[in-house]
Amino acid sequence: MIALTGPRVFITGMGAVSPAGNSLNALTSALHQTGSALRTLGLFSAPSPLPVGEVPDVPPQQDFPRTHRLAAMAAEEALHNSGAEPDAIVLGGTTGGMLTTEERLKNKQHNPESFQWHGLVTVAHHLARHYNCSGPVINVSTACSSSTAAIKIAFDMLRAGLGKRILAGGADSLCRLTYHGFKSLQLVDPQGAKPFDRDRQGMSVGEGAAMLLLVADDTPPPDAVAEIVGGGLSCDAYHATTPHPQGRGALRAIRAALDEAAIAKTDIDYINLHGTGTPDGDLSEANALSHLLGHKVPHASSVKGMLGHSLGAAGAMETIISAHSIANGFIPANTGCATPDQNMGWEPCLSPVSQKVQTVLTNSFGFGGNNASLLLRGRERGGGLSSKKRVPLTVKGAACLTGAGDRNQSLDQVRTGYDCKGSLPIQDISSQLEANLVRRMKRLPRMALALAKAARSDAGTSRPPGAVFWGTGWGPLSETHDFLDRLEQSGDQFASAMDFIGAVHNAPAGNLGLYFEAEGPNLTTTAGDHSFEQALYTASLMADQLEQEFLVLAADEYHPRFSPLFDASVRSDPAPSDGGGALWVSASEDSREPKIMPPFLAFSTRGAEVIPRLVESLGGEERIREHTGAILLGIPAQLRDTAENQLQEFLDLTGFEGPTVDYRRWTGEFASASGTATVLAVQFVREGMVPASLVGGREDLPLRGREILLLGLGEHITGIRVAP
Amino acid sequence: MESLVRELKEKIVTTLNLVDVSPDDIDDHEQLVGGRLGVDSIDVLELVIMLERDYSVKIEDREVGSTVFANLKSLADYVAANKPE
Repeated sequence: MIALTGPRVFITGMGAVSPAGNSLNALTSALHQTGSALRTLGLFSAPSPLPVGEVPDVPPQQDFPRTHRLAAMAAEEALHNSGAEPDAIVLGGTTGGMLTTEERLKNKQHNPESFQWHGLVTVAHHLARHYNCSGPVINVSTACSSSTAAIKIAFDMLRAGLGKRILAGGADSLCRLTYHGFKSLQLVDPQGAKPFDRDRQGMSVGEGAAMLLLVADDTPPPDAVAEIVGGGLSCDAYHATTPHPQGRGALRAIRAALDEAAIAKTDIDYINLHGTGTPDGDLSEANALSHLLGHKVPHASSVKGMLGHSLGAAGAMETIISAHSIANGFIPANTGCATPDQNMGWEPCLSPVSQKVQTVLTNSFGFGGNNASLLLRGRERGGGLSSKKRVPLTVKGAACLTGAGDRNQSLDQVRTGYDCKGSLPIQDISSQLEANLVRRMKRLPRMALALAKAARSDAGTSRPPGAVFWGTGWGPLSETHDFLDRLEQSGDQFASAMDFIGAVHNAPAGNLGLYFEAEGPNLTTTAGDHSFEQALYTASLMADQLEQEFLVLAADEYHPRFSPLFDASVRSDPAPSDGGGALWVSASEDSREPKIMPPFLAFSTRGAEVIPRLVESLGGEERIREHTGAILLGIPAQLRDTAENQLQEFLDLTGFEGPTVDYRRWTGEFASASGTATVLAVQFVREGMVPASLVGGREDLPLRGREILLLGLGEHITGIRVAP
Repeated sequence: MESLVRELKEKIVTTLNLVDVSPDDIDDHEQLVGGRLGVDSIDVLELVIMLERDYSVKIEDREVGSTVFANLKSLADYVAANKPE
């Protein structure tokens, strides 16, 4: 690896909305005062309400769900007086518009307009429109580590030169799903969270939003608060909800962050702990730190006894607290802990400490064993960062699912001129899955597992993937529906733990980690019709650090009640369809296999010149004309007019006259159709021709060494080159 | 008591979607969690809800739970003793 060439990444703006109040100042004042900001749930009614971390005084605004409002408030504070719009937005979140969705379902509203802000990525869209951002607008959902992973992605993007200023953070509002879900898992402390206390009984569910403006520069800008110097991601591959008892996965994430930053573990002055207050989780983190540091654990504290656990916002909130710690020489107390657990081998800070802080480690661990750690340093103490470069991915194996069946069945159907719309019976999806292994899985996790197994088998290997990059537009809808339905039917009395665990967007990826014993990064992106592209984008960003082959996949299920309600494109097609695609890829070159070049990603903001940037990123008009055999077009039905205008602009600019294939007419309407289409493109490149049925000729179209280009149009504009 | 045991076995198989297990296969004294049946801690949480919903029997403590769910016999005994009249 080449050392010391990439730009450095500084935090120059911060905004926080937390149970302590509506500003960064309210948060830091509360930290200095150390008291708990937990209070009895007041946002919605629940039997015997528990203490939660609820944000006070959120201005009512009926147009947008609460998560969107929290995010907007924090973003406004982070970007205040910062000048130009951000080049990209990367957010973490787990609930999106869920609170509003729950209320409207309760009120028996069936108007799809009422659910237009349901999707997780709509929070980032809301900010992108407001700040006129036309770069990549990415949403990460790795449960409780979501925004830490989001900051790691933004950090990598800046180092790879994919922007100069990125707004990164996370937002989640309280909702019935998370409140009752964690309660059903018996993971909530009825007295309020007391992390690392001998008598801790669980977490307190919370909410909030935290945003950071990250800036790439060679030297610290005047307004830099701290520098981010490293990040690490890992997967426990141990259990859906319980962390590895010895903190094995946590330790891998921490070590990866230390390696990336090239910092010695003994340099850490303060550890901002994940510490939610659950008996198993706190002990696991404590053990990981003991393994790493022996008896020399530095000052360490969790703020979740004060703020509760704001889930997707927590990692960004704690990154802000870590930066504050460095800038002000202040270590917050581990509020709530009175008698530290003697089984840990070390103690957290029971009261605040004032001392010089130069290096901070902050940890976040989520369901699915999705772990993320970041390292921050003082602005004048940069670490020796290596350069970062996106690399093409060599496709070793490819698999897809459609209404027609697996890849070969789908291709046969396409070649004979029939579409592959439809939704396979669940028995067909499960035919190669061990029945006992999938007994708790509903539709989407089974699709993900079937796809992943088929892609690995196509690659002819039995090794575990080095990482999993998973995209899904809507997440596990069956589990989400069944959880909410059972809760509603029982008057908020009975919530299913099994459905809650399964309802998290990253649950299918966590299952893959578990199934394959894949201990590397395990990321979930969820961005409507462009979720697969975002998975591919993050994969190409992190591939230079992956030695083993890995998985990139996406899928969406058709749910008879929720799919038409949430997804306007699904609603417009009389044939319910679902499916997805999986690629088994390698970051090392192999001239015999198709390659996927690092994709283009942009948000289609009004008035932004996105298409010219797309053309440039694909190598310019001439290159596109000469090297593209066919274009596969992703045109979501609900945005057909917008997409056709975008396409026309592309064709006018490039003068491309070759065949274009509107692939959703073949796959049907579902958010991850681009995953399926990419797998078909890989197969066409392997065979060197595109079937006549697709390109409208009498004979198959020979590619003669040319590429297939996949264009995703609509809310985002994406470009993927599949080259021989 | 015998009919309660039988009923609980049926409910366990359907609630947990146990594959290739029929109620008759479950021995009254065999280890319920972490044993041959493949029942784990997440399944126990589903069973807790089933007991509350179908028998109005509450188990809110992990330690109580681990004794109650030791085997079918202990489970049936607990339900019989704590079921409202």
